[in-house]
Amino acid sequence: MTIGRRLKDILAGKVMLATTLFSSGLVGIIALGLYLRARPLFAKQPISKLLLGETWLPSQGLFGMKPFIIGTVWVTVVAVIVAVPLCLLTSIFLAEYAPRKVRAVAKPLIDLLAGIPSVVYGVWGLLVVVPFVADRLGPFAVAHFKHIPYLSTEYSAGYSVLAGGLVLAIMIFPVIISVSDEVLRAVPEDFREAALGLGATKYETIRRVVVRKALPGLLAAVVLGVSRALGETMAVLMVAGNVPVAPKSVFDACYPLPALIANNYGEVMSIPLYDSALLGVALVLLIFVLVFNLAARAVFLRVLKGYHV
Amino acid sequence: MKKMTAGLVAVVVTAGLTTVPSVAAEQRGSISLSGAWAIYPLAVKWAEAFKKIHPKVNIDISAGGAGKGMADALSGAVDIGMVSREIDKTENRRGAFPIFIAKDGVFATVSDKNPAIRRILSRGVTRQAFEHAYVSGRATTWKQLAGGPAAPVHLYTRSDACGAASAFAAFLDKYKQENLKGIGVYGDPGLLEAVRRDPLGIGYNNLGFVFTGNNVVRGIEIVPIDANRNGRVDPNERIDSRDKAYQEIASGRYPGARRGFFVTKGKPNGLTREFIEFTLSEAGTRVLEDVGGYVPLSKSERSQQLGKVR
Repeated sequence: MTIGRRLKDILAGKVMLATTLFSSGLVGIIALGLYLRARPLFAKQPISKLLLGETWLPSQGLFGMKPFIIGTVWVTVVAVIVAVPLCLLTSIFLAEYAPRKVRAVAKPLIDLLAGIPSVVYGVWGLLVVVPFVADRLGPFAVAHFKHIPYLSTEYSAGYSVLAGGLVLAIMIFPVIISVSDEVLRAVPEDFREAALGLGATKYETIRRVVVRKALPGLLAAVVLGVSRALGETMAVLMVAGNVPVAPKSVFDACYPLPALIANNYGEVMSIPLYDSALLGVALVLLIFVLVFNLAARAVFLRVLKGYHV
Repeated sequence: MKKMTAGLVAVVVTAGLTTVPSVAAEQRGSISLSGAWAIYPLAVKWAEAFKKIHPKVNIDISAGGAGKGMADALSGAVDIGMVSREIDKTENRRGAFPIFIAKDGVFATVSDKNPAIRRILSRGVTRQAFEHAYVSGRATTWKQLAGGPAAPVHLYTRSDACGAASAFAAFLDKYKQENLKGIGVYGDPGLLEAVRRDPLGIGYNNLGFVFTGNNVVRGIEIVPIDANRNGRVDPNERIDSRDKAYQEIASGRYPGARRGFFVTKGKPNGLTREFIEFTLSEAGTRVLEDVGGYVPLSKSERSQQLGKVR
């Protein structure tokens, strides 16, 4: 081997190691950057007071993030409740039932949803979802859900957890559907043939064999969707109502963490600690997503163990 | 496109030699502005007119909110920050040099289907009543606000940090945007739409958004502010056309009026000063009147600002 080739060989490995280290270290770098900028606030106020504080009044030095954290949880949970059943059924249909032609049309259409800019979802939410919640779902809930917790309301302006959750659900459709579809299709054909050979119907085969085998992957799909939902900003901001009070019903307005940052980042100059507080909020959001991902991964590994075939 | 290329060439050519502009020679160089959405359209027109006089000057304008304009001006990222609210003390201390350039106003708006609309238009709403609704939360019904039926008031406010909300909060008595209760809607048009759709809603909008032509946007009424608290709407308190709004803001009587500023870091000089002087000139004032949505400064106000810059 000539020296030139050998050098190239060594170098290639090292360069790729460097890029890998860089990209895997990015989360750490971002978190560190946010922490450094947020530190002045953490130094002045205890973290428990920030995380559990109920009031956000920057000009009075009050930076309670609790309503925003709860708001984020609410919209994300609503989005998942709406999206998961729909997505799983769709992906099972696409992977198991759909004729080739239907699949060829439906799949790109669903993937297209992922390419729509989030501000377009926001405007659409404003024009369609908000009036729908205000004029149809809201009055229905007033009439029928009087005593049901989380669903009862006296009035809804439409700008609500529900509107945010519905828009978010649609935004995470393509993520969950395409990953689940891949996972289901990756289940080896032998499994299906064996089950069918034993006399199972197609539905039984899917339910007892295919879905069981694909479960960890399906969970991963949902986790990916939730991660996307946690951080989504613009679309939710435009329809969620942005009231810094923890909601009591899906018809109440809420104020998720990303919206707080986006709404106020332009106006941080004149108030002391305000920029620290907003970067602190960003850090909390980042940790939130990280913890969620790690927890999901842990669950994921246990499921994998249980289904070792 | 041609214009842009010419501008680019001008920037490239002059990039190295802008520091000492000679008075006699043709002006060259570039000015950058960023800040309030409310001032952006006006600044663009001013820039166009200025470029007609000084074709080799390049002016770069971006919008991103009053706060961004202030931050950019103070950090030196731009020459001029556009700020559509009053200047904070801390900002003054950091070297903000505000030049008052235009007048604007925020108007409280309701749907014309509001059940109390006749009461609202005949009695008006006092500053105190607004404060009770938006800040303390003591007034929750239209009965308390305007003496109409006891239907609840649905408050709407802006979610994004903006000059309109700051001005409205300041009008309610030295409050800040964060003190305003209500459902937060993004952007001026969003807020107007929310109020138009909700018969029990109330919100507030910039001068530039409440009128189409000379009339108030269809479906919307401007809530008269009962400034003298005599329990009825006097002729000057009822604002039902753009002309009337201009007149009331220009006279200084309208309580929801607000001021727009150009902010520089320290006293402006060179090209930046020349541009600012142009905006305060007769020609600049004509441009402002053509754009619409803004009320010009009076002659004495203009000369006062010019004196401050010189």
